[in-house]
Amino acid sequence: MTRKRIKNVLFKEWRLLFTDLNSGLLVTLLPLLIILKGILYIWLASKFGGDTMLTMTVFQTALAKITQAMPGIARLPGNEQLLVLLLSQFNFFLLLIPTMVAINAATFSIVDEKLTGSLEALLATPVRTWELLVGKALAGAIPALVITWISAGFFLLVTLLLGWGHLFGFVVNATWFLNLFLVTTAVAMLSFILGVIGSSRAKDAKSAQNVVLVIIFPVMALIGIQVTGIVWFTPLLTIALGVGIGIIDALTLRLAVSLFQRESILVQWR
Amino acid sequence: MPIIETHGLSKSFKSIVAVEDLTLAVEAGQVLGFLGPNGAGKTTTIRMLAGMIAPTGGYATVAGIRTDREVERVHEHIGLLTETPGFYSRLSARHNLEFFAGFYPAVDSRTAVEKYLKKMGLWERRNDKVGTFSKGMKQRLAITRAMLHEPGVLFLDEPTAGLDPEAAGEVRELIRGLSKEGRTIFLSTHNLNEAELLCDRIAVIHTRLLALDTAEQLRRRFFRRQIVVRLETPEPRVVEAVRKLPFVEDLQEDGNQLILELTDPESNRPALVKAIVEAGGGVISVSEKQYPLEDVYLRLIHEEGGNDA
Repeated sequence: MTRKRIKNVLFKEWRLLFTDLNSGLLVTLLPLLIILKGILYIWLASKFGGDTMLTMTVFQTALAKITQAMPGIARLPGNEQLLVLLLSQFNFFLLLIPTMVAINAATFSIVDEKLTGSLEALLATPVRTWELLVGKALAGAIPALVITWISAGFFLLVTLLLGWGHLFGFVVNATWFLNLFLVTTAVAMLSFILGVIGSSRAKDAKSAQNVVLVIIFPVMALIGIQVTGIVWFTPLLTIALGVGIGIIDALTLRLAVSLFQRESILVQWR
Repeated sequence: MPIIETHGLSKSFKSIVAVEDLTLAVEAGQVLGFLGPNGAGKTTTIRMLAGMIAPTGGYATVAGIRTDREVERVHEHIGLLTETPGFYSRLSARHNLEFFAGFYPAVDSRTAVEKYLKKMGLWERRNDKVGTFSKGMKQRLAITRAMLHEPGVLFLDEPTAGLDPEAAGEVRELIRGLSKEGRTIFLSTHNLNEAELLCDRIAVIHTRLLALDTAEQLRRRFFRRQIVVRLETPEPRVVEAVRKLPFVEDLQEDGNQLILELTDPESNRPALVKAIVEAGGGVISVSEKQYPLEDVYLRLIHEEGGNDA
């Protein structure tokens, strides 16, 4: 029954998502824009920044780390070393997609139900809180993941068209795939659970969106610690990161269930 | 055997007392009207009975199940019509109903939805988005939703509020039909005529339970039975003859009407008519004075609001 109920929530959310033009465009176009913007910055940096950017301390530290992991990089010209360094950030940059989609989609998942009055009717059914929350989180996380993977393919296609295909050996490696399928999945789930928590705790859509915005900071931190060379994510470290976030997912779901106060949602919201 | 029972049921929100010491029982198959002014605790009571919010004192059972302990089981036994219909406006009527039906273990969603959409006269509109429905249709759809899992107990929170007279009439017919099927209905309403038309008993609440009885008994609690005799002409000798009758306890004249309180309104009537005719009076009609339930309600709210139940 639990699986049936979660599936029920999931399909309803998808029906709503894909009958709303704004949400549909958000899920499909926003990720592609994020990718294009990222690639544009990298192209500009390599075109106009070139070797001079590599003299910056922050990049030197990161370059030392990446060269340690992949010694072949040392044989590349300076601007290509910079390209590898920047393109390698893309696996974390891709994490922005599920978080951005979560901020926009999960934010309204409970608030909307409350505002339209459907939440009370829903809570009068035998659905359990965790079934409802998992259904809602999956309903957002699955399309977000699929679009992230499509975006990753789009990224590879554009970089190929820009003539950077010969650098794939340094960029599209085990860490890339682990990040894409393990870390991104865990982050997508985490983003949507946090989004649903924000939505269930806030009293209106605006404050829900403000609460949910904090999700983006840990992702930015991940990009920051790699690009500055504080940590360079090897395959093993990426697995540890994915499993760690997976554990946080489970704990966050428990937290979400305990924070979902049916009574205060019904009584206090107006 | 009561299917709904409350025992000292109370609910406070911080310092605000919403419901206080509510004790009542509703027999299976009965329709109970639940009346009270805004803020009297009607919706809070329904939410407690439906297991949506927990009482701060006392407890309630529905179909023998504690509403504060086995919430999911309670939800399998009840249907709830909330104050607002609460549908997903971008989804069709069928998809909306199939979604809600999908949470009940023993329900084949498609079959149940088809059966009730046909029964409620909404089958032709099944593929239309609910956002295109009128208020009355949404309310019918909301009642349909409450019925999908065949609950024995229905909680209806102001089902005709905001509807035009025609739509309200349709909803009342639906409720009457559900009652005939033997379902127990707990009907919260502001509409006193509706309560009288549909309900076996009426509870009046103003945080505390003020009264619980049939409409007729509630009337008698405040108003004595009065007989109204319409005369052709109110001649003094006729009035005097009536006044002298031993079973006439009180007599008031009102134009060509005599308003009387009799010892036994049923058995005294023939003798009353006979006396009038013998005195040379002409009787147009004899009827019982009907006090609107509204008068009873207002007296309960204003006079007993702070006293006994």
